[in-house]
Amino acid sequence: MRRLFAPAIAIAIGLVVLLGYFLPDYTTIAELRIQIVHWAVILAGVAVLVGVFNLFFVHIEKIRKKQKGSVYSLLLIAALFATFILGLALGPDHSIMRSLFDAVILPVETSLMAILAVTLVYASMRLTRRRSDLMAIIFIITALIILLGTAPLPLFEIPMVGDIIHAWIVNVPAAAGARGILLGVALGTLMTGLRILFGADRPYGGK
Amino acid sequence: MSVAPDLISGFIAFILTLLVFSYLLGDNPFFRAAIYLFVGVSAGYIAAVAWYQVLWPELISPLLFGSPGERILLTIPLVLGLLLLTKIIPPLSKIGTPAVAFLVGVGAAIAVGGAVLGTIFPQTGATINAFDLQAAAAQDVSPAEQIFGASILLVGTISTLVYFQFGARRFSGETIRRSRLVEGIALVGRIFIAITFGVLFAGVYAAALTALIERLTFLWTYLGSF
Repeated sequence: MRRLFAPAIAIAIGLVVLLGYFLPDYTTIAELRIQIVHWAVILAGVAVLVGVFNLFFVHIEKIRKKQKGSVYSLLLIAALFATFILGLALGPDHSIMRSLFDAVILPVETSLMAILAVTLVYASMRLTRRRSDLMAIIFIITALIILLGTAPLPLFEIPMVGDIIHAWIVNVPAAAGARGILLGVALGTLMTGLRILFGADRPYGGK
Repeated sequence: MSVAPDLISGFIAFILTLLVFSYLLGDNPFFRAAIYLFVGVSAGYIAAVAWYQVLWPELISPLLFGSPGERILLTIPLVLGLLLLTKIIPPLSKIGTPAVAFLVGVGAAIAVGGAVLGTIFPQTGATINAFDLQAAAAQDVSPAEQIFGASILLVGTISTLVYFQFGARRFSGETIRRSRLVEGIALVGRIFIAITFGVLFAGVYAAALTALIERLTFLWTYLGSF
């Protein structure tokens, strides 16, 4: 009986939310769906805290066992603890928290994105060396045409690339491929979601 | 008053940018230190945002100061939240399973609704509407040009979908493979996928290049301020 408790919750709650989506005219079901989604948002907030606490304890364990790289774990724990306490005391909109965001999160995120410019060139060079088949050639030529059509060239413009070829590739074959990929992902999501709602998959740990 | 914090945050940003850029010489302790610091600060910041944007205004504050009806309704997420918190302690983690099941059930239903109403219907409709000659005429596009573009869109969409169809059967004395027809359509699909990834690659590369220029300008401006 206890084994069925968690699947029963997932299936019942999931079906009510799904009915609320497809039967918006039935006020009771629609209101119940809004209430359940509101509770799920609160639970997602708790899940964020669980994730952060888990990160904290994993690195505490690494430090306790003096594993390789525990110095970095110490740095992570200190940064996490200080930011969390400051954030709780001052609030995320306080000027000190914004300075912290501008000093650490923003520059590191932007710098990681920036080094991607170099690593992507390196990766594409490796691709052409290792796999010089038709698909790799189409991939590289498309990327070059799009880049040449997007970026303003200093001395001259390549005829037709910027206005006609670039626009056609983006609007027709690339849109077709993206649409196929999107539909494939949506069909996969639909199947996975239905398997959970029918109780065939139980990723929450039920048997 | 605001000059000192700006100077300090600018100096930290300058140092961290250099530490992250040191990765271009290979993985090194300076890069790792910057990344661990980033993860720690980000996690602490996200936890504070979750508290101030979700947990306090939606749960704690209404429980303390809300009407009796609100308090009764919020006991359910409160109990589920407390159950979820037991996931941090491994011996008690099984107690939190119903709370995870609740989240999974809601997530699955939203995913199904989103996939059907947000992707499958609109994308299929857009593929069909590409053959709308009246709309094309309103935009001064010739019928032949519209039908040509729409046909390529249709072929590309279907062949890309077929490429992701991995159902296969065993031929006598041979290895398991897809039928020749599916293989042929999948090959066309691969071409469309290669073009799509080429366009995505160019977009990501342009964004990365913009970030690189922004960071180099920041470094140059910061050094020039002395």
